[in-house]
Amino acid sequence: MTQIPPGAFAQPGTSLEFKTGSWRVQRPVHRHRAAPCHAACPAGEDAQAYLARVEVGDLQGAWETLVSANPLPAITGRVCPHPCETACNRGQYDEAIGIHAVERYLGDEALRREWPYPVPAPGSDAPRVAVVGAGPAGLAAAYHLLRGGCRVTLVEALAAAGGTVRTAIPRYRLPLDTLEAETARLLALPGLDFRPHTQLGRDVSLEELRSEHAALFLAPGRRKGQEWNADFAIPGDLHTGLHLLETWVAEGTLPDHPGAVAIVGGGNTAVDLSRVLRRQGVPSVHLITHQRIPAPGVPAEDVMRANPREVAQAVEEGVTIHEHRGVRRLILRGERVVGMELVHMKKLPDADGRLQRVAFEGTETVLHVDHVIPAIGQEVDPAGFEALVERGRIPVDPWWGRVQGQTHLFAGGDARGDHGSVSEAVGDGRRAALGILAVLAGESLEPPTPPEPVPFSDLNLHYFEPAPAAREPVLPPQERRGLEEVEGGLDLHGVRHEAHRCLSCGECLACDNCWTLCPDQAVLKTRERAADGSHYVFDYDYCKGCGICARECPTGYIRMES
Amino acid sequence: MSAETARHDAKTLRHQQPRFRGLEAGHRACQGCGEALAARLVTEAAGPDVMVANATGCLEVFTTPWPQSAWRLPWIHSVFGNAAAVAAGMEAALKQQGRRTRVLAFAGDGGTFDIGFQALSGMMERGHDVLFVCFDNEAYMNTGVQRSGSTPHAAMTNTSPPGTARMGKRHMKKDILAILAAHRIPYAATASVAYPSDLRKKVRRAMDTGGPVFLQVHSPCPLGWGHDSDLTVQVARLAVQTGLFPLVEMERGELIGTLPIREVRPVTDYLRLQQRFRHLFAGDFRAEKELEHLQAIADRNIERFELRGGGKERYDTEGADTVHRGGDRWA
Ligand SMILES: Cc1cc2nc3c(=O)[nH]c(=O)nc-3n(C[C@H](O)[C@H](O)[C@H](O)COP(=O)(O)OP(=O)(O)OC[C@H]3O[C@@H](n4cnc5c(N)ncnc54)[C@H](O)[C@@H]3O)c2cc1C
Ligand SMILES: Cc1ncc(C[n+]2csc(CCOP(=O)(O)OP(=O)(O)O)c2C)c(N)n1
Ligand code: SF4
Ligand code: SF4
Ligand code: SF4
Ligand SMILES: [Mg+2]
Repeated sequence: MTQIPPGAFAQPGTSLEFKTGSWRVQRPVHRHRAAPCHAACPAGEDAQAYLARVEVGDLQGAWETLVSANPLPAITGRVCPHPCETACNRGQYDEAIGIHAVERYLGDEALRREWPYPVPAPGSDAPRVAVVGAGPAGLAAAYHLLRGGCRVTLVEALAAAGGTVRTAIPRYRLPLDTLEAETARLLALPGLDFRPHTQLGRDVSLEELRSEHAALFLAPGRRKGQEWNADFAIPGDLHTGLHLLETWVAEGTLPDHPGAVAIVGGGNTAVDLSRVLRRQGVPSVHLITHQRIPAPGVPAEDVMRANPREVAQAVEEGVTIHEHRGVRRLILRGERVVGMELVHMKKLPDADGRLQRVAFEGTETVLHVDHVIPAIGQEVDPAGFEALVERGRIPVDPWWGRVQGQTHLFAGGDARGDHGSVSEAVGDGRRAALGILAVLAGESLEPPTPPEPVPFSDLNLHYFEPAPAAREPVLPPQERRGLEEVEGGLDLHGVRHEAHRCLSCGECLACDNCWTLCPDQAVLKTRERAADGSHYVFDYDYCKGCGICARECPTGYIRMES
Repeated sequence: MSAETARHDAKTLRHQQPRFRGLEAGHRACQGCGEALAARLVTEAAGPDVMVANATGCLEVFTTPWPQSAWRLPWIHSVFGNAAAVAAGMEAALKQQGRRTRVLAFAGDGGTFDIGFQALSGMMERGHDVLFVCFDNEAYMNTGVQRSGSTPHAAMTNTSPPGTARMGKRHMKKDILAILAAHRIPYAATASVAYPSDLRKKVRRAMDTGGPVFLQVHSPCPLGWGHDSDLTVQVARLAVQTGLFPLVEMERGELIGTLPIREVRPVTDYLRLQQRFRHLFAGDFRAEKELEHLQAIADRNIERFELRGGGKERYDTEGADTVHRGGDRWA
């Protein structure tokens, strides 16, 4: 056989001896970054993470990921105004992911299948923490304290847990069964001592709680209706909107309101009450608000505070909304209201640039109504902890919720006074619990730097296909009479469709793009997960740093770094 | 370290990859070389039981700096012009020996359109069972970017500089696919590094078809085209989306398939990213005229191959590379 001289051949794959990695100026790295949905969720949920579990069919894992932040998904999935969806990158591509519907589905599945909360039983030497108020903030705090190994005394003035969600949110938005099931499961967690009918300031004092517990979290909500301090005459028998609404939620009836009713206010109470009145058969329901109906392009400070979809549904149900309108005076015949004088108003900057409401002279109109109901807001009832309350709210450190000037006393939820939603209350409860755990461990409390969410421009959209969002069934307006839930939720098919549409912002979806497109075989695929959570490893011995992988990564998970 | 995650030793991992590595790391191609990517993809899909005859050019040079080789398959360097002839000889010898190993011929556009053309035409005419792959980077790159018969009209190379007399290359890009199709071979197709699954499918189809078959792979050259190395795939994709590089398949000279363009992009989207077309953005009337000329060429391609898609399809310029969790796109 002919011998080939050594100068004429080379052994296969021997180029590996030459490390082309030395040519590199920048190196690709895997960088998990928060998805916008995650960064925007007030409760701290990482929707991207649980949508990924749903997509691979692991529903229980998805729920566990979800409840590592928010223990009340069946509730928030129904009532949260879902800022996650407003922030969702996919909204800039076609339609935002229906995150709330996935959240709701997982919450309901957990109830149906009784998936256990990932909470350990507390040790015998576990510290005791007291939580006042079993609304969303208190429940979330208790849950996260239990998760952190504490025992919790949960003190609640009323007979049952749930807070405003139980007392004021109408059942056609949140069925009682769901509320009861989700709160009952939390109350049954090991290490939780739930004390209903126990009001701080009446049945127990702050000092008593302090002496028996290592730390305290106060979440009393804002339960006291604000006085309508109008500079005009008002009838003596005026009920506040919240009072009427709570009566209806508790008893299912309201005093008769024939004819026309005007509700003054633009928040959840005003809108819910308007819808309840329509269900009660009141022919003409008016809502008077300084602000505007939520719509694209309306600046945030000018938008009604109620959830946008509730406002839209109220309009569908025949509620008349008078935007940018204020009440000048009530037109009375004796004690009886026969109408009201309205005026056009708008918030405009004053000499110092601060926004002030301006009423425009010459725009007065008269609205004929038989009843007027103020629904202008609530404040903290300070009985029992007066020293902590300033102008109707408890001032706290905005991240951890530690009460100013205190070390082991935290507060959150509506009582903070700077926000008013269930998911914000849950987030407050969670952060306060983490703060308490840190304080009990002798650590100092530094506010973390908020994550930079992955911007839309960092995604490579070429690799995704447009797909319309799955639509929830919604009860037609003419059928919305009783307590039947208006929104029907998605079925498993719809939920998986939404999970499949998720762009996986900032997280590897194991698409193989980098592995497929590297000209240098410098991206290696692993069978298990690699240490950084992806399925790929960069071989920096050979990576020349061309940047193709980072450019073609659909999710913005690869960054070029010097 | 949890049970599920593991730190990986790249050396071990490299040898456990769930795909055939015809072209190994350590080759000396420039950063972001489209030709290296194309050769990697082609050998992955064609291998492992193949032999390669490779014409002179970048691919040959950057893979075999003696005494090393980046190839993991039997490979021979022919000369610049005769890859097809060498491959034909290899195929005849294997046939004689009764072996099933298949033969590939690799060449750049110079080694295909120009100097390699007569050997290629002869091999096709004689009917050898060889897949000839042209790595089309649209110029003689290895010798420092000289124009070839494949260089597009108006592109700047060192031998077609823009100046007062002309705006880059005066002549048109040769329609090599039509010439090959005129040999009435069983299969001839174009592919692009921007559409790897399409490319692999075409390699497999060619291998399954057998006989003299031909594949022209559009392979951006960051150095010669003057674009950032991370834009290789993006540039290749735009060539397809504008209609300047149509992805088509022909059997026995008849058009049998195209990759429809869902959203046709203006040629300027493609041209603007590349220094070789920089002079077309000077804003003067000559530049404007050349831009219109190139747009007309793209329009004519779209018309001729009926490339305009009819809405959203799985197999079109937007759907063909849609990703899924878990990577089943490449299966
Ligand atoms: C009509 C209406 C509709 C709403 N709709 C929505 C909606 O759709 N989506 C949304 O996200 N949010 C909605 N909200 C707001 C939401 O209900 C609140 O933001 C949320 O419940 C606040 O939670 P919290 O735990 O801070 O307080 P709360 O839910 O008010 O809970 C406070 C709890 O503390 C108890 N408590 C108070 N004082 C004491 C004391 N001294 N001792 C012991 N216990 C005490 C109370 O009895 C109560 O159970 C709505 C509010 C209203 C009024
Ligand atoms: C007969 C002959 N003429 C000229 C050369 C010099 N030469 C080597 S590679 C090359 C150009 C290769 O161009 P192409 O085939 O397009 O491959 P690329 O390098 O662009 O991949 C030339 C002209 C040669 N090797 N042999
Ligand atoms: S696409 Fe998915 S990950 Fe991205 S913001 Fe929307 S839900 Fe979150
Ligand atoms: S390209 Fe795909 S597989 Fe690679 S890191 Fe990005 S998401 Fe993960
Ligand atoms: S000159 Fe172009 S074709 Fe040659 S190795 Fe560099 S990038 Fe690749
Ligand atoms: Mg070339």
